[in-house]
Amino acid sequence: MTTIVGIRTKEGVVLGSDRRASKGFFIGSKITQKITKIDDTLAVAIAGQLSDADYMVKLVKAERNLIELRRGFPVTVKESARLIANQAYTGLKNYQPYFVELLVGGVDQEGGQIFVADMSGAITSEEFASSGSGSPIAYGVLESIYHKDMTNEQAKEIATKAVAAAMERDPGSGNGIDVLTIPNLSLVVEERRR
Amino acid sequence: MSDIGSSGIGNTRYPYYYGPEGRLLLVDSALEAVGRGSTTIGIKTSTFALISSHIKPTKPLVEASEKIFAIDGHVGATGSGYIGDILQLIDEMRIAAQKYRFTYDSPIDIKSLARQLSSYLHDFTIYAVRPQAASIIIAGRDPAGVQLYQVDPSGTYFSGSGFAIGQYSDTAIDIVQKEYTEDITIAQAVQLSDRAIEKALGEKPLVERGLVTSKDATFKKMVNS
Repeated sequence: MTTIVGIRTKEGVVLGSDRRASKGFFIGSKITQKITKIDDTLAVAIAGQLSDADYMVKLVKAERNLIELRRGFPVTVKESARLIANQAYTGLKNYQPYFVELLVGGVDQEGGQIFVADMSGAITSEEFASSGSGSPIAYGVLESIYHKDMTNEQAKEIATKAVAAAMERDPGSGNGIDVLTIPNLSLVVEERRR
Repeated sequence: MSDIGSSGIGNTRYPYYYGPEGRLLLVDSALEAVGRGSTTIGIKTSTFALISSHIKPTKPLVEASEKIFAIDGHVGATGSGYIGDILQLIDEMRIAAQKYRFTYDSPIDIKSLARQLSSYLHDFTIYAVRPQAASIIIAGRDPAGVQLYQVDPSGTYFSGSGFAIGQYSDTAIDIVQKEYTEDITIAQAVQLSDRAIEKALGEKPLVERGLVTSKDATFKKMVNS
């Protein structure tokens, strides 16, 4: 169930999600937060078992903090996605898989990046991505209107459109849309300087 | 027969057991090693906690080891003794802080942190292993206010407003005790700790400092002035 989308732009990344948590044919919650901020530069959109995803997100948070304290500079988006994938892979190989598909979106020195991490431990870097039961519908929207040099504002609109379309036709998604924008680091610094 | 143990009756082969005076030789030796470490000071009032540590000069092309460490956003620590042991203990504390966040979804309180470090150190005093030759001073801020702790190789921990460990720490703590007041400012505390280290060593020292205040509640390394 669920629809989540992630879009990379020249200005950063945008994540979008619906708010429905399904319990079989019952709507368990209408106000679920499926986008979790790890810090100001990284967030994860969650599809699948919420408890599993929460556990992984907490682990990555702890590992990121430790790594940064130890080595003195922050953990990149790619490294963070790898931390999540390692955890998923270990789970799979131990016959205790994490039932999740995560969109890891964040910014670092390289700019905005979107990674898809699934329960097999695979990670792929994407320009835009969607996951959850509504993803085929969301992909339809994304494929037809995504282009490389989008602004965050445009990406926000497209993310909203994609999730809204999925909510219309997918019974597993609904009850409103959340969107999170993470602007590139250089932009943040410039804004602070002014 | 080996004579590494104390000269007591029937205890010449096991230096990790109690000596005849009821003291643990290995723990005493660890404290002795700490006493040879760089002079390190902690000062606390209700509004801030300051830790400062003397950086021993190295060879011209070698960078001196870092001595003030952030443990988590709201807490930092320093230490005196073998630098390798200090670094190990710092890492233990960092892991403890993250584990606490993982389990309870909130930052670790300073007493729990001191207690965990104490427990880690205590483990080395009950087995036939070498205790860690490092005393640690922890400065942090939690819902109970600004906190300052000292933890010793024996596992003993104290909370207080002024600590000194390392070389000539007796001289240093004397100076801190004499001039400490509850309404001392940060600038005065920096000066006081510098003076205490300087008096103890008899020379103008290079000092590294860290500060946490009740206001912004984040531990920061201070830029050398």
